Amino acid sequence: MLGTCEDTLFELFHGAIVSTILKDATAEEEIDERISKLEYIGFSSGLRLAERFTRDLPRFKDELDIIKFLCKDFWTAVFKKQVDNLRTNHQGVYVLQDSKFRMLEKVSNGRQYLDKSSRLLVYTCGLIRGWLAALNVPCVVTAEVISMPACKFHIHLQRSS
Amino acid sequence: MTVYNMYIFSKDGRMLFYHEWQRKKKSRQSIEQEGKLMFGMLHSLQSFVSKMSPVSVKDKFLSYKTNKYCLTMLEPPSGVKFVINTDVSSSGVQELVHTIYKQVYVEYITMNPIIEVGEEIKCELFRQKLDNLIKQSVIHSSKAE
Repeated sequence: MLGTCEDTLFELFHGAIVSTILKDATAEEEIDERISKLEYIGFSSGLRLAERFTRDLPRFKDELDIIKFLCKDFWTAVFKKQVDNLRTNHQGVYVLQDSKFRMLEKVSNGRQYLDKSSRLLVYTCGLIRGWLAALNVPCVVTAEVISMPACKFHIHLQRSS
Repeated sequence: MTVYNMYIFSKDGRMLFYHEWQRKKKSRQSIEQEGKLMFGMLHSLQSFVSKMSPVSVKDKFLSYKTNKYCLTMLEPPSGVKFVINTDVSSSGVQELVHTIYKQVYVEYITMNPIIEVGEEIKCELFRQKLDNLIKQSVIHSSKAE
């Protein structure tokens, strides 16, 4: 059964933004520039989302606590499920694995359209980066897809040394 | 119920998709030509049907039955045509086509951000889901018989 109107609308909106921003971009620099824009759109959403999301909650204990909240509560609210696997090297690098990522679910069940799949993760990378930045956890977020609908998000925390 | 084959046409007559599950008699023309013939016929038939209609409501479904097979067509408001050929004893075909539209086409083609609207359908996931649905319907109906 189809979800609520907001769910459908978000998916369609996301898809439309991705294709509009990347439309007619051929040169690599042009594509990179557009991808940055897309990432920034996610970043600015994530920044504000953190304010709205966490105002009722007690302060987090430590950064691991924040990442766990990201994997459980945040992911459930935005992507309708929890992150399936979290790995860390305990030195500021976290890898989040989602075996059935919402933005890739309708695209393919394997490797078809793999070359176009990364563009569907850019907004989310920005969203995560913005959300963590608002909670004073600056970082860099990248993503990889090996076989859809599974994907991984890599979060590198930036420490001031 | 036996599903023989299925066609999907865009609003302007291009064949977006064709698949066969069982086709005992191969056609003598290419699939593209067959598609054009099919679309042309359906278009004329729809026009004839609405002109001859004794009631004013526009039909959503159209089907014809020969002694060997039954063709059922669904045209939702967007204008895309779904045509399916089944055996004569099949029941619930209209529901099946409706389900194909709602649960497979809308979910995996319309909602797929990579595919452009009106493009020929080459999506593997769509094919898989369609296949699953057809197989389930065939199994379900043979249990009921």
